[in-house]
Amino acid sequence: MDFGTLAFLIPTLPVIAFVLTLAFGNKLQSRAGYISIVAIALSFLISVLIFLQIYPHGTVEQSAHWFSVLNVGIFIDPLAIVMLLMVTFVSLLIHIYALGYMSHDPGKTRYFAETALFTAAMLGVILADNILQFFIAWELVGLCSYLLIGFWFRKPSAAAAAKKAFLTTRVGDVLFLAGIVILYFNMYTHVLPEVGGHGTVYLLQFKTIFEHLTLIPTDQLTIITLLFFGGAVGKSGQFPLHVWLPDAMEGPTTVSALIHAATMVTAGVYLVARTFPMFIAAPESLIIVALIGGFTALFASTMGLVMNDIKRVLAFSTISQLGYMMMGLGVGAIIGAEAVGFAMFHLINHAFFKACLFLCAGSVIHAVGTNDLREMGGLFGKMKITATTMLFSSLALAGIGIPVSIGAIKLGTSGFVSKDAIILEGAYSYLHFGGAYGSLIFFFGVAAALLTSIYTFRLWFMAFTGKPRQERHAHESPLSMTVPLMILAVLALVFGALTFSPFIHYLETTYENEFFEEIDPNGYIHGLAERGGYHIPEEPIVHLDLAHDTLIMMLPVIAGLLGFIISWAIYHKRLFSVASIGNMRNPLFRILAKRYYQHEIFIELISLKFTYGVLALTGEFIDRKIVDGIIDGISSFIIGGAEVLKKIQTGVVQNYATATVLGVALIALVLSWGVI
Amino acid sequence: MSIVDFISQFAPEVILTIAALAVMIIGLGLGTKEKRALGYLAAISLIVATLIIVFRGTYHLQLEGIMADSLTIDPMSQFFKLTFLLVSLIVVIASLKQYDNHSNQDEYYTLILLGTIGMMVVASAIDIVTMFIGFELASLSTYALAGFNKKDPSSMEAAIKYFIVGALSSTLLLFGLSYLYGLSGGLTNIGEIADYFSMNPGIIQSPMGIMAMVLIVAGFGFKMALVPFHMWAPDTYQGSPTVISALLAAGSKKMAFVAAFRVLLIAMIAIKVDIAMVFIILAILTMTLGNVVALSQKSLKRMLAYSSVAQAGYISMVFVVMSPEAMTGAVLYVMSHAFMKTGAFIAVAALGYMLLRENISAKDVDHLDNFAGLGKRSPFLAFSIMIFLFALAGIPPTAGFVSKFILFYSVLKGGFVFLVIIAILNSALSLYYYARVVKYMYVLPPSSSEKLALPGAYSLAILLALIGVLAIGIVPEPFVNWAASAANVLGL
Repeated sequence: MDFGTLAFLIPTLPVIAFVLTLAFGNKLQSRAGYISIVAIALSFLISVLIFLQIYPHGTVEQSAHWFSVLNVGIFIDPLAIVMLLMVTFVSLLIHIYALGYMSHDPGKTRYFAETALFTAAMLGVILADNILQFFIAWELVGLCSYLLIGFWFRKPSAAAAAKKAFLTTRVGDVLFLAGIVILYFNMYTHVLPEVGGHGTVYLLQFKTIFEHLTLIPTDQLTIITLLFFGGAVGKSGQFPLHVWLPDAMEGPTTVSALIHAATMVTAGVYLVARTFPMFIAAPESLIIVALIGGFTALFASTMGLVMNDIKRVLAFSTISQLGYMMMGLGVGAIIGAEAVGFAMFHLINHAFFKACLFLCAGSVIHAVGTNDLREMGGLFGKMKITATTMLFSSLALAGIGIPVSIGAIKLGTSGFVSKDAIILEGAYSYLHFGGAYGSLIFFFGVAAALLTSIYTFRLWFMAFTGKPRQERHAHESPLSMTVPLMILAVLALVFGALTFSPFIHYLETTYENEFFEEIDPNGYIHGLAERGGYHIPEEPIVHLDLAHDTLIMMLPVIAGLLGFIISWAIYHKRLFSVASIGNMRNPLFRILAKRYYQHEIFIELISLKFTYGVLALTGEFIDRKIVDGIIDGISSFIIGGAEVLKKIQTGVVQNYATATVLGVALIALVLSWGVI
Repeated sequence: MSIVDFISQFAPEVILTIAALAVMIIGLGLGTKEKRALGYLAAISLIVATLIIVFRGTYHLQLEGIMADSLTIDPMSQFFKLTFLLVSLIVVIASLKQYDNHSNQDEYYTLILLGTIGMMVVASAIDIVTMFIGFELASLSTYALAGFNKKDPSSMEAAIKYFIVGALSSTLLLFGLSYLYGLSGGLTNIGEIADYFSMNPGIIQSPMGIMAMVLIVAGFGFKMALVPFHMWAPDTYQGSPTVISALLAAGSKKMAFVAAFRVLLIAMIAIKVDIAMVFIILAILTMTLGNVVALSQKSLKRMLAYSSVAQAGYISMVFVVMSPEAMTGAVLYVMSHAFMKTGAFIAVAALGYMLLRENISAKDVDHLDNFAGLGKRSPFLAFSIMIFLFALAGIPPTAGFVSKFILFYSVLKGGFVFLVIIAILNSALSLYYYARVVKYMYVLPPSSSEKLALPGAYSLAILLALIGVLAIGIVPEPFVNWAASAANVLGL
């Protein structure tokens, strides 16, 4: 049978679970979570079946029009199917874990309903075959994140964090929507006449856009893609809209895991990957993507160094790793469609190890009852499974490995394989072939790798080794929590090593297949890159003389190991005291601990003083006094008119007959006017 | 065409006629309790008739032999017959509970069935005499139905006003039709009259011809409740039993539209520009007055009556444009409006029934205040009312949106930008009084926290209307296609 026909069930099942959980959750109580789990498991199963069916060259395309104004469609290509598999799988594990983690929470029915909807929204983003549907699902993701971050809404900090996340991502969403509007305008003026007018195609469908991309002026494409990227910056927590992500820790830890690994933040990266042909045809856009991504990677990792909240360290690491993904897409300016493969590969690997890290953190918090790393320590003996799985995923996050391959297998953790690819084959190619700002991007990549390794192991050593800094009755978590951990930890270790080249090759076929060959037989992406003013060399980096740049090739590895050694020396062996540099008298430490005074700049200056104090209050004045005044005037005029006109209706039949005579006279007058 | 063919082609009408007579005759020998079965009999006959129409679908049949010049079967007639049958069916189902203890319920169902037959004859009529007879059959039945609550003075008032004004309008119409008959030298078939006038355009442009058109437009204006011929409508809809208001607004008023679609084609031949001018004025007056006065109504039935007037104003824009697209929109609008209005009136009737059951001496059960907190007291009823009202306002994904979209768009394409702007402003205005009801139901606190139990018959009737409203809104293609083939019949 054709499993593609079941594709619509992938997001529909979690939606049904959402409805059922809300409707019957209170009766089912502790079993409420099973509905969502079954639904997402089925979604995962369908995704696997579709993958098996379409691999390696197929796609699934379905589309239904509603008038010509709205199109609902499904488009599954390599890019979408890997996302589908990852999201359904990781979300499934997180849901299973939550059975144990949320078992004591009185709001667990609401929790499982909302996470099911959250997953459904993300699946909707992935499956969308047009940009408008994409945006609708994208907004739904935003709504669900608001609900879940503020899950404990009676806690003021949670309510504030939810609002912050919603408002910050909204800035990006508005940019994204503006991009869609400009794109539609361009499609309407430049493409519609070419395809033969209304009703022939749906202008916002991805395939239609890709097919006629060369008709759109490149300067317009730059504006559109930068606006799209603005949306991605908001959703994926890139500088400067990253401020919501660390605060989003206020939700349950499983929600953080969902946001950071499976849903939400990856949506931004997916958006850029989905519209990659537009980016590569747009001058300057990809360079900006690479620069912002690289800068975010480094910037966030510096703050990760000094955080004491275990989840906050992980939050900054997510921002930093998302920066790598954006950087990976940005270097597509040099390496073409392969960049999508690298970025997505890191995205998938990151999903595994970050989900694992968050769930481990959840397990630790569940056991000790605090988020503060300074109050932990010595937990290794008490929580062996958690400690080991967390070590594995930390190795992946820090990118520990050896740049050697045995056949198709790369030696190294998942994080290493994908990050190495982005830094070397991506950023280094960029540097080597003289892309603008190449050295800066390469520097961002390597420096962030070093810092990542330091803070990752700092976290692990502080939590699991040394002496317990407080007496706590820590205990290992139940099986429903540890089994997902183990699965994810294994994947964090070996997934990257095993699947590297098939994955990259498969993802490349997203934009290199028969459909795109028909549009441009000389290479679709290459052709667009020429339009965008980028130059993709014929020879890829792998054919370069490795010996020539051995030191550079080894830099990521050295960075990872060096970071481990530094952390080991400071936080495990305590060779020198942290307190001597890590205090508020040290200006560098202070600026990091204060997170570059972002709160002061973003909240107090921009938000409160400028946006609220100037813009909002002026707007309010105009709205209340001027606009409302006009509207009120019109409405009281009409309602007053209604009272007058009502009186015509006297209730006396004779008057009705009079009106009739007048009416007949009126018609006679008008009709005879023309004749006479 | 033999008599057997005739019966098979007009099987729905024949079945309804037999059922109507059977209900009346059987009813003579039954007590009040046993008469309840007659309602079911009426419902079954309507269901069978509906199914026949649905399964035969759209086709065009050139009748020969008996009735050849007076009746036709084409997509237009079938589309309207389906609309009338569904409206009557919903009304009958809703009445099952309302009148289950009424000693004259046999007459009630007979009248509904006869009225439906009258409407169906009008839908099929291509002869001015046949059309008029159908009109009168439907009108006489509904006059009686409007006054069915004969102990209720307002019901009697509604019936009398309806009858007087109805008689006046019939006179005007008949007078106008008789002019046509005379001017054409004794023709009654609409097509033949049109052909005759197109060969002799001078006749229709003569003062006598103009007078004929004036009277016909005024006559139809009455039946369609266009301003200033609308004044009977609010009084009648408010005073009649609420389920009958549904039949009047959704059924008998729509009968006028199908007749007007066919007859006014004659006028299109020679004096199209002037007729367009007349309907620009009538449409603007009708929609604006209907919506503005609806704003200040506190009685839901009266509000719905004015909203009905306003909607007739929208539909009558088709006479301005007279393009196939506009006709498609108008035909679809008629069916959509039938569902929305029937649903809304029946929902109001259901609330009235429940309130009266609680308190037998309750007054003004359709007053807006009674809807406060309905969302908590009767969630399904409140939800349905909300959908019907949003559909009337034209909000997607309902039938109201689809038909409004097609109609307005066609008027825009016809070049009457100002008319569309006025129509859209009116639509926006109408949202005020529709949304106000929703606010009452969902935002304001209920006067009593007691749940209201909705009787099954009402639920079923409301559900049917709800399905109709949402089906046209969500899967519009089949309905639009049928409406388009109905519009094609006119050969615009």
